[in-house]
Amino acid sequence: MTRISVDLIETVTPLVQERVHEAARRLPHLQYADLRLEVTEAKGAGAENGTPKFSGDDQTLALGVRVLAGDRMCAPGYVGLMLGAADVPNLARIIGEALEQAYRRAVVNGEMKADAREKFGPLGEALADTRLHPVEVRQDTVGAVYRVDPRAMSLAEMVRYATDISRQVDAVDAGVKYNYVSTLTELSRELFVSSEGARIDQTFALTQGTCTVVTVAGEVSQDLYDALGHQRGWEILLEGVDEPLLRFPTFLDFALGLAREGVALATAPVLPTSEREVVVVTDPHYNTLVSHEIIGHPVELDRALKMETAYAGRSWLLGGLTEHQIGRRVASPLVTTYSDPSLPGFGHYKYDHEGTPARRVVHIDRGIFRGFMNSRQTAAIFGGEPNGHWKATDASLVPLIRMSNTVFDAGTRAAEDVLKEVDHGYYIAGHRTPSIAESRENFRISARRVYEIRNGELGRLYRDGGIAADSRDYLMNVDAVGSDFRLYPIPNCGKGQPMQTKRLGNGGPTMRSRARVIGR
Amino acid sequence: MRTIGELAKAAEEALALVTGQPAVVEVEVFAAANSALLTRLNYTSHIPCNGVEEPKSTESYGLGIQAVFDAPDGRRIGFGSEPSDLTPDGAERALAKARTAAVADPEFVSLPARSASPRALANYHDPRLMEIDDQSLVEAGWKITGGALRTFTASSRLAALAQDDDALRRLGLIVGGDVTILRERVAIASTAMPRAQTDETSLITAFVTAMVESRGAKGSGASTGTRLDHFTDEAGVEAAQNAINAIGGERVPSGVYTVVFGRQPVADLLNNIVIPACAAGAFYSSSTPFLGKLGRSVASRHLSLYDDGAMPGLMGSKGITCEGLPTGRTDLIKHGVLAGCLSNWYETQRLLRDPALEEKLGARGPAAEAALVPRNGFRFGAGGGRQFDSPPGVAASNVVLEGAEPLTLDEVIRRVGSGLYIGRIWYTYPINGLRAGDFTCTVVADSYIIRDGRIAAPLKANAIRINDNIATFLNNITGITKDVKGTIVWAADEVVYAPEVAVTGVHVDEIAGFMEELD
Repeated sequence: MTRISVDLIETVTPLVQERVHEAARRLPHLQYADLRLEVTEAKGAGAENGTPKFSGDDQTLALGVRVLAGDRMCAPGYVGLMLGAADVPNLARIIGEALEQAYRRAVVNGEMKADAREKFGPLGEALADTRLHPVEVRQDTVGAVYRVDPRAMSLAEMVRYATDISRQVDAVDAGVKYNYVSTLTELSRELFVSSEGARIDQTFALTQGTCTVVTVAGEVSQDLYDALGHQRGWEILLEGVDEPLLRFPTFLDFALGLAREGVALATAPVLPTSEREVVVVTDPHYNTLVSHEIIGHPVELDRALKMETAYAGRSWLLGGLTEHQIGRRVASPLVTTYSDPSLPGFGHYKYDHEGTPARRVVHIDRGIFRGFMNSRQTAAIFGGEPNGHWKATDASLVPLIRMSNTVFDAGTRAAEDVLKEVDHGYYIAGHRTPSIAESRENFRISARRVYEIRNGELGRLYRDGGIAADSRDYLMNVDAVGSDFRLYPIPNCGKGQPMQTKRLGNGGPTMRSRARVIGR
Repeated sequence: MRTIGELAKAAEEALALVTGQPAVVEVEVFAAANSALLTRLNYTSHIPCNGVEEPKSTESYGLGIQAVFDAPDGRRIGFGSEPSDLTPDGAERALAKARTAAVADPEFVSLPARSASPRALANYHDPRLMEIDDQSLVEAGWKITGGALRTFTASSRLAALAQDDDALRRLGLIVGGDVTILRERVAIASTAMPRAQTDETSLITAFVTAMVESRGAKGSGASTGTRLDHFTDEAGVEAAQNAINAIGGERVPSGVYTVVFGRQPVADLLNNIVIPACAAGAFYSSSTPFLGKLGRSVASRHLSLYDDGAMPGLMGSKGITCEGLPTGRTDLIKHGVLAGCLSNWYETQRLLRDPALEEKLGARGPAAEAALVPRNGFRFGAGGGRQFDSPPGVAASNVVLEGAEPLTLDEVIRRVGSGLYIGRIWYTYPINGLRAGDFTCTVVADSYIIRDGRIAAPLKANAIRINDNIATFLNNITGITKDVKGTIVWAADEVVYAPEVAVTGVHVDEIAGFMEELD
């Protein structure tokens, strides 16, 4: 038995296509079926306080099936499986059984939906057939981009590298009491096949470095975490990234910088909380999380259509099919936001997980709300063309509407000028932890560093602070947007039930607005 | 799903095979099969919907091998796993991965050794949950949705608000959530404990949120159990009724309030702040607010908190940990004093040998050993299950919070006089790192204003944010109710058996006034 490799996808594609089309022909009341098969070859290594802690070289094989079927009403059914090398010889049987099981669930679900529609009178009328908005059916193969093949990396070298960085972080200062450094490099290949005839074969390279540092000064601990990464090979950790939108130092410098920051913060005073709104200038790293939380999440159409009410929440941008903010002013004319899978980084892809060609969708155009990220199902309900944002963390899980690269667009001002114009205010640098209201109408996000601004200059450094505001007020109060746009990776966005943790991209430029600063 | 017998046989055979391999000093084989069946619910009266959105499942099984190897530069420890193969071939592949991955971790002491305590819990799963079919899975989802829709349909209050069918739908009645059935089977055998130990767990949960959206009214309901025959539409009915009860919610101004935290907020605060603060790793990394405080006061003397994975009938109970050690009770906070930590074998061994142990934990010697008994080495994956493909981490099981002076909720509310009852909070995080203890969250449902010692009016959902510190919650306690209920938090490993807790001096900020103007 050989080890699973991404080459398996090519080998089994005809079999998968045959199984899906055969099921579509054979099973009565089946209206649509799709299947995702994903192979990942990943290597990782981690070190703690200058000593090696783990490494791993593994391959995963995941399978996911969706069927829409039903006699009296059409409904969905799903199956997800994590497989191994021992399953490869039996793949035809396993795929056939998964299609049958998803079909059975869909048919039973459709029958019960029809019963409920009859039983609950006026409330039953909302129960509708499951429909997918048509998309162009594509057959395509998309290759990965990397210089150092993730599969070629030596595990021993990865351990040595992580341990060396951890050792150097430990040596930064006696105040560094703990650090954890981890690295990952992987190649994954995803096959999507649908009963409509789609066949999409996409391969992605991904490399990531993460660092956690705890610094202590007396009764104060500062625990900081940050990640760098890109859809490239190991070279990005050694050389950094210097692209127009995405820039990182080497992973060593990145980790050392985080440690030095932690040392400085542990002896800084706590930010005092302001009684009322003050002028705040936010840097691109901080705005990465702001764009994630108060732009990206509320423009996910599944959430806006209430499908996440019990988990990730709703969106203040949509009450019902005719009560929404589309066409209305929700931000200052200086604010434009969009999601764009064609940008580089963690949020890049050509097709989403139902084969929809991915494209840029503008959410806010010079302050006016324009629209949502969607899927075929939500587009069929709300209207509009599918824009390719239905994504799962792995093929065994049901996709959700997910951000690609969701960002604040660049403005025209020099970032230095945005700061220099401030008589008194606060400079909010580096994102830390978010807490967002249920419909994303209010937020509090802590920063890594907060500086007082006096007469256009950075003053005292504070720890344990951030800003809080109502989302619309904050966006409406933006009065300056810098030209220094940066894109950053978000390695751990959680959504769904069971929770799916996903990598994606966010970013923005320096911006100026008004908010309460909150420390203690 | 693979049977428990197949897993036990595989674990023992793999142990025998690996033990004889070159350079292998010590080995632990963990075989597991997991199945998560889940129906996601989504009903919206004003938007076309499926009612039951996603009947789905994820399944996996396989072997995980942790092995210690002799090497020229000393011992090395490595982990490898192989999915979907319980045969010797699978064991060989897992071992090969462990060998390749092995590192020279200087803090590694040994794989787990046999405990002096006996196992307390066995044969506690429901065989019917282990055999549930597709029809029953989908039926469970529709049972909950149906319970909520029946409650909405029968409500005279909704009928009074909506004079006709269209108006009823325009109220924006929402039912969301899920029914989850989790089935786990594990077997473990090791050099120190060569006879395979097995464990089999099943549970069913329903977690539901309902809304009358046009009125900004939101309620929730939940049910938990370990047996299929106990599963009813209770969670759907409760959520819909709570949403109806929340109609007419009022705003309150920013200020400092006495707050009765309901069960979900108590569970959320414990899950996101207090339980992580009690983990051995947080002491090791100097990131807990309880740093160096073992044996010292960290909370009101009214409060006791413990983890117990061996209590029969509780949802988070297991017979053994994923290290083959017996589960049991670990006192975390006893009458306000820090009493112990959640730990696994590795964390306990390295912390006990840490030169900074006393500085980090606050004690050494027998006191430290008693506080660090490794009863919580689990290999939980996202969404549940005991994963064969990861080494053990640290997770709580059943966390129980108790008060010293058992009170009814009415007594607690009378005592409060004027304040807020908070029934559901949201997005609760230690906003400035764990050790600082600062937390923030918004209030999203099931909440009320207390006036004159009684519930006076619903509190409007999504209209306040709590900005405070966990020390306020732990120390300013004026009452704890006597009844605890199993409460689950989204994406949490543990189940919190939470009472309601009254706390003085809680900082609250009014938020999102602009939402009143939206149409």
